[in-house]
Amino acid sequence: MPESRHLSRRGFLAGALATSALAACGTSKKSTSPGKGAELTHWDQMVSQEPWIKKEIELFQAARPDIVVKRTQQASGDLEKLLDLAWRGGNAPDVFKVPSDKLDDYVEEGRVLALDKYATLEWQKTFPAYSFVEGVNAINGKVYGAPFDGEAPWVQLYVNNKVFKDAGLVEADGTVKIPKTWDEVTLFAEQIVRKGNGSVHGIGFGNSAFAMIPWWMELFTAGAGYPGSVPPGFPGGLDPRTGKFTRSTDRVVSDFLTLFLEWKTKGFIVPNALSVDDEISRQHFARGKFGMIVGGVWNQPGWTELGFTDYSVTTLITPEAQQKSFFYHGPGKYSLAISASTKSPDQAWEWFKWYHGLDAGSRWVQELKGGLSSHPEANDPSKIDFAPFAAYVGMAKLILPGPSPALRNPATANVVPKKITPDFDAITTGLYTGQIKDLSGALAKLAEEQERVFTEALDKAKKKGHKVSLDDYVFADWDLTKPYKWDIPEYIGAK
Amino acid sequence: MATAQLTRVSAPTPATQRPGPIRRHGWTYVYLAPFAILTSVFVIYPIFASLGYTLYEWDGLGEPTDFIGLRNFADVAADEFFWSSFRHAAMYTLVLVPVQLVLALALALVLNNPKLRGSTFYRAIYFLPAVTSVAIVGIVLKLMLSNFSDVLSRPLMAVGLTDQPLDFLGNPDTALWAVIVIGIWNTLGYNMVYFLAGLQTIPKEQYEAAQIDGAGKIARFVHVTVPGLRGVGVVIVFLAIIGSLQVFDLVMVLTGGGPYFATEVVNTYIYHQAFGGSIGSGGSAEPNVGYASAASFFFGIILLVLTLGQMWAIKVMRARKAARA
Amino acid sequence: MKVTRHILLLGFGLAYVYPFLWALGSSLKTPMDFLDSGLSLIPAEMRWENYAKAWDQASFGTYFVNTLVISLVTVVFTLLLTAMAGYALARHTFPGRKTLLFVIGATFLLPHGYTIIPVFDIVKALGLLDTIWSVILVQVGGGLVFGTFMFMAYFQAMPKELEEAARVDGAGYNTLFFRVILPLSRPMAATLGLFTFIGSWNNFFLPLVFTLGKPELRTLGVGLYAFTSQTSTNWTLLCAAAIISLAPIVVVFVVAQRYVVDAIAGAVKA
Repeated sequence: MPESRHLSRRGFLAGALATSALAACGTSKKSTSPGKGAELTHWDQMVSQEPWIKKEIELFQAARPDIVVKRTQQASGDLEKLLDLAWRGGNAPDVFKVPSDKLDDYVEEGRVLALDKYATLEWQKTFPAYSFVEGVNAINGKVYGAPFDGEAPWVQLYVNNKVFKDAGLVEADGTVKIPKTWDEVTLFAEQIVRKGNGSVHGIGFGNSAFAMIPWWMELFTAGAGYPGSVPPGFPGGLDPRTGKFTRSTDRVVSDFLTLFLEWKTKGFIVPNALSVDDEISRQHFARGKFGMIVGGVWNQPGWTELGFTDYSVTTLITPEAQQKSFFYHGPGKYSLAISASTKSPDQAWEWFKWYHGLDAGSRWVQELKGGLSSHPEANDPSKIDFAPFAAYVGMAKLILPGPSPALRNPATANVVPKKITPDFDAITTGLYTGQIKDLSGALAKLAEEQERVFTEALDKAKKKGHKVSLDDYVFADWDLTKPYKWDIPEYIGAK
Repeated sequence: MATAQLTRVSAPTPATQRPGPIRRHGWTYVYLAPFAILTSVFVIYPIFASLGYTLYEWDGLGEPTDFIGLRNFADVAADEFFWSSFRHAAMYTLVLVPVQLVLALALALVLNNPKLRGSTFYRAIYFLPAVTSVAIVGIVLKLMLSNFSDVLSRPLMAVGLTDQPLDFLGNPDTALWAVIVIGIWNTLGYNMVYFLAGLQTIPKEQYEAAQIDGAGKIARFVHVTVPGLRGVGVVIVFLAIIGSLQVFDLVMVLTGGGPYFATEVVNTYIYHQAFGGSIGSGGSAEPNVGYASAASFFFGIILLVLTLGQMWAIKVMRARKAARA
Repeated sequence: MKVTRHILLLGFGLAYVYPFLWALGSSLKTPMDFLDSGLSLIPAEMRWENYAKAWDQASFGTYFVNTLVISLVTVVFTLLLTAMAGYALARHTFPGRKTLLFVIGATFLLPHGYTIIPVFDIVKALGLLDTIWSVILVQVGGGLVFGTFMFMAYFQAMPKELEEAARVDGAGYNTLFFRVILPLSRPMAATLGLFTFIGSWNNFFLPLVFTLGKPELRTLGVGLYAFTSQTSTNWTLLCAAAIISLAPIVVVFVVAQRYVVDAIAGAVKA
């Protein structure tokens, strides 16, 4: 579903996206040559990834003793607000983590330094093809950011091995059974509840801080031969294959929600799912209070910290045994940016390059186990000593390149639909509590609203002189089973 | 306000033979100046400066440019979710204020007894929830309620009030009530301290005089304590009502306004509009600061009208009473 | 009778502070113990190092002095200015008084929603960004209406005999205020001072915003806030951090309490 494609604010916080920004009030010298020292201020929102960023700063400063990186951690929910105020106050950080979807706005506001002087073709080629993309991290031919994270399915289903073993859910060879289809999840949950005498549940989630049901939804529909997971850049509810707002009203959506409600009625789901938040439910999972939970890779470090490592991981649970579609991603990404007002651009670039480099990426994957790196060389499962994380790294093959409106027409960045109330997230909660009774009616109304706010946003962008239309969002040739071929140069400035 | 009348009594003598108002009231203006200047600069001006946002469709970045006139206000007035959040805030206030004030007054009366040993200790205990930041108090309460709701439900199940464990904050039927009870608990200490301070302004002589006149405990409460607390009492009630209608942090931490808007109050509604994302949604939609500001002002205007109406009603009632007497 | 009253007060009080006792107990538990021990107060084994860790993670050491200075200065200015304004409003009539009262009432009702940008611009124009003075000034400025309102009500309820006696003795406006009124207002000053102190102590937003360029000026509230907004929260450390930040305020409360009691005693003697 559209809303859930982007991680919730807390999900970001959790560090699904790599984060880091460096900001520096340079020294009093107006311009410094590459060799000269400087103090850089750097803002990011890393919490569980803190050990990594701290170590990188240490290593960087050991390599460049003349540059001091002064890091400030900002709460991720505040980062955007604080950056706005920092610019207002004239004390913006030299290097900073760009909040999601904000790079184009910041470039327009003149806040971000164009990296054309530094981001040479040679440097770009240290990244895989399609890492630098006009309309994503480059604007008007100038590079402003670089990808840090690698692509992998963003939601996984975690299985508590002990709970499964206690319920007798084991294969002949003694390993736990991993569910692959909707029916298997139902069966396994039932068996866990039956064997657990009411004290163990099959399924758990924590909906209080943000809606988790849409995460389950995406994991259970992405493989159903339907774009349950769409690449970034599409408006909520739109099916890119037809240009119609049918994603929320598709049969598979109501089927899954009906199944989910059935699980609830049958008592498979923990009873306090609506009042605990995701973090607490993760800890309950670790304590064996239920057998299955959906979450991101950032769950793993938290469990390691608790001393809980006996779990398995999978993704893409399908209605039938056959998998008919994948997760999809667009080209290009960004993490840090350098402030246009920095007094030490050369030094800031050195740190920027270090942060996005292969070595830092390898430590990110292999030491921190924070996620995948944008450098494929860093993502070698054989170098990973922890099975669930290695399994996650191996899932990279389940996400394919998908179509992207921003590639076809960068002006689509100006089409910003307004918020809908209630949105899909809220509706799933309302269905779960019983406050909404008419499932298909609620989804039909949502689809109407999604179309209405999108049409409004399109008209507004047109009125402002942007050349955009619905056709920019329609990809009739998209075959869900194949990588989408992007019609763009592999690198910016490459002939 | 009731207070205005008291002052009239102490007003200085008529001004006929005195110099101009500025010189005559020189020190009064000097005493008010820092208050007036700082409040104008840091409270009133910002309110009016942000009034401009209500006329724009604006995501909060840079300066607002998309002027849309009063449409934000029209949209707020037509939004059923605004009105349901308004009802929740009103409900929160209508239940919380009377219960909390009665409890706070009772507690203050007990703890005001100079002969009571350990009253400082008791005051500290009952004030404790009020000294911690709401964020922390809320997190602890939420952890207890959501993590261990089964334990907490056991007594309720034992007396047959419910047949299965209650998910207090996750059940749309109980969530608002749970928030109200926690709200009463959380800020009771403040009102207790106000009442204690107020009780201390009542001269002992009045009690003694009443006792000599043969007034019993209840009579002394009605004829000495209640009138003596009127000044502070009006303020406390006023503050409690305003504070409750504008409740925010506590709801945000405990339920975020959920489940499915069951505890959404006006200020959480405004927050969700200003920063995108409804309860638990990822917030990929654009925040609309202009709309949120409009909702905020709209709410303020409703409160202002209600308060003025109330004051007018009190005035009319007083006038009638006076006429009859 | 006496005993019953104490039993009631204690029993009810215990239930009242149970969440805090639970937080205190939890602050000494291991994460697993925390999850398993339900609502019990007693840790299976004492983990005193939780406190050291929480202290470090929330940077309490660095922020303690900032918080103390900012809170104390805020209290002093707030009390002085609001007592003066409250006195002027309660005891004197003057042209413009009604308007002023109306404006005060209205600012209570009008929401203070999205006002951070104008306030930020003012502080910037004053050249105070990234100083503790900006935090103090904005906190004092924002708290004056409330304090003035409280003092006004308090002075209005106060008997006028003492004042009138002093006025007959020839005391001027300032003598009257500083020598007679101010000492009499100690209970309200203690109350309001306590509330202002608590508010300032727990504030995180203003200290965060106005020290953006100099994070070393941040306060405990910011450190604690960062704690609560983490992803994989360590609840036991959070409880420890909460207890640490709570302790100084409890001390202030007990002290302020005694002051209130003394003040009454003094007033009665006089």
